[in-house]
Amino acid sequence: MAFLKKLVPPDNWKFPVIVTLAIFTGLALFVFKISNAPSYLGDKPETCVNCHIMAPQYATWSHSSHREKTNCNECHVPQDNIFRKYFFKAKDGLRHATVFTLRREPQVIFIKDEGRKVVHRNCIRCHEELLTDSKLLARTTETHTFRMERDCTDCHRETPHGRVNSLSSVPWARVPLPGPIVPGWLRNMMKNKD
Amino acid sequence: MKSIQQLLKEKPWLGWIIFTATVLIVFLLGMLASSIVQRRAEAVFAYTPEVTFSDFEPRNSLWGELFPREYDSYLKTADTTFRSKYNGSAMVDMLQESPRMVVLWAGYLFSRDYGQGRGHYYAIEDIWNTLRTGAPGAGVTSPQPNTCWACKSPDVPRLMNETGAAEFYRGTWETKGSEIINPIGCADCHEAKSMNLRISRPALIEAFESQGRDISKASHQEMRSLVCAQCHVEYYFNKKRTEGVDYLVFPWKNGTSLEEIEKYYDDIEFADWTHALSRAPMLKAQHPDYEVYLTGTHASRGVSCADCHMPFISEGGQKFTDHHLQSPLNNIAASCQVCHREETDKLVQDVYSRQDKIMENRIILETLLVRCHVEAKTAWDKGAGEDQMKDILSDIRKAQWRWDFSAAGHGNSFHSPVETGRIIAGGIAYAQDARVKLARVLAALGENREIPYPDISTKEKAQALIGLDMKKLRDEKKIFLDNVVPEWIRAGKEREAGY
Repeated sequence: MAFLKKLVPPDNWKFPVIVTLAIFTGLALFVFKISNAPSYLGDKPETCVNCHIMAPQYATWSHSSHREKTNCNECHVPQDNIFRKYFFKAKDGLRHATVFTLRREPQVIFIKDEGRKVVHRNCIRCHEELLTDSKLLARTTETHTFRMERDCTDCHRETPHGRVNSLSSVPWARVPLPGPIVPGWLRNMMKNKD
Repeated sequence: MKSIQQLLKEKPWLGWIIFTATVLIVFLLGMLASSIVQRRAEAVFAYTPEVTFSDFEPRNSLWGELFPREYDSYLKTADTTFRSKYNGSAMVDMLQESPRMVVLWAGYLFSRDYGQGRGHYYAIEDIWNTLRTGAPGAGVTSPQPNTCWACKSPDVPRLMNETGAAEFYRGTWETKGSEIINPIGCADCHEAKSMNLRISRPALIEAFESQGRDISKASHQEMRSLVCAQCHVEYYFNKKRTEGVDYLVFPWKNGTSLEEIEKYYDDIEFADWTHALSRAPMLKAQHPDYEVYLTGTHASRGVSCADCHMPFISEGGQKFTDHHLQSPLNNIAASCQVCHREETDKLVQDVYSRQDKIMENRIILETLLVRCHVEAKTAWDKGAGEDQMKDILSDIRKAQWRWDFSAAGHGNSFHSPVETGRIIAGGIAYAQDARVKLARVLAALGENREIPYPDISTKEKAQALIGLDMKKLRDEKKIFLDNVVPEWIRAGKEREAGY
């Protein structure tokens, strides 16, 4: 408490300090709002197209059978425990946000090794019976190699996003991108002024 | 620890450092904010075309300049080479396939001509060609109202925007001949500015309202079926809504099932026509594709019309929605196999086996209905009274409504085989009921032998049986097509040149 008291400015400085801090807070809130920051805590696929370069991934998913049962996080974020989930999400998300903000995104986005492992585990999470089916338990010399050294997506390459994923591969797909920053009521007000 | 004030007093340069650091933080925070703002603004523009025309631009080729892939695939609806077992993109003379239909529609224009439709590309051409629109010309009007144009063209929303729906429907069909020249296309389903899906026809909006629902709340996935449901539905012309106007209405107030729609019609004592042989007050089911689809397993799993009839396809590194509206049987890989990982032949066989089984009973019902109409005519000829015939005619109406509801939607037996089978079974029961009652009436009138089944082995024989002069109808149509239609096209093009 003594430390906090030290931070309190003398009476004649209070006003400018309040104003300055408010400017910072306002700016931070603005960034918070326009980046849809709270949405990153949830699982809605709309969140992933906050960055519009994810439109091809969204559009291909929404035209696949996986749209009925999954969202982005079901496959691309670990689902085995909540700490791992949010740690991975924060780590991956911050990297994505940095790349996007600095305009360092490649023309064709490829999944990284770490992400591929997560996807592989998540394939198995839902499609487990395909691996544990007793009919398939017969063993050959290659069983170990086939089972343990391959990812599902090594063969199922088109599931569910298809092959082509360049940033410009779905030019007019209807994707729920974030709308204009100026809210509708304000736009209408400005329109009326003209 | 010294207070900041003291520190600053001792080392004035510290003040400058704090000042510079603050400037830097605010500057960077501002950069971050503006970067986010900029990239968000990109999203607004990156996927929005530079459209210079309005929602009511009827010329598809203009939209096509901005969306060449979608437009090129749309143009493929002109292809008529695909034929599946029962349907496809070729024009099929359904009356020739089943001359029984001629008898079923005696006294109604469908007995003249009923072709299984071609692609959207031919919407205008085919409505000119069909004998059902008659041969308007000097002093002669069409037997149809302007309402028949309602689903044929993006010129329709353009005109409705100018005059309102009721005024659009007013008058006979030929009066809008030069106004409507573009086949079904872009503006029927899309907003110009955002390219989002839109409902361009009032009938569907009003049908939703009659059920207390608000269509503007529909999700994108629902819209991918609802744009189709603007036309591929059961409808009727309400003559009472606006004086002198055949107002297009979907009979959905009680719901969209066969029985709920039937109740709607019974409650308002509606009949499309009185049958020429049996004198039954008949209902003509149009094409309740959407209603029947809703009862099927694909609908209950959230699959939309567009998912199968307009799948995502890939071409030269680009993915887009295939605007070649067609039977998914012609594109199993992009439609069925997105979800069903089976061999193509197997999937096609699954569809055909459903269609075969439904067709088997549909033909039984069709044949029974021919007998019903012929036997009822015999009863009238023998002097049967109105009160004797009342129940019979009601049974015939119900039976044929069930037959038509299942037959008129070409995809019904696949979209919802169980429901379609149920409907046909109900129809067979009503038709048999009618025939049992007819047998009693005929016996009472002294007619105790079987009434012979007419020779309707061909369309021509069936049309002669109900007294149609087909040669005259065809000759008149030819004159109309040679003289009137070219004038409509010329006047329409001239009007568009002024846009």
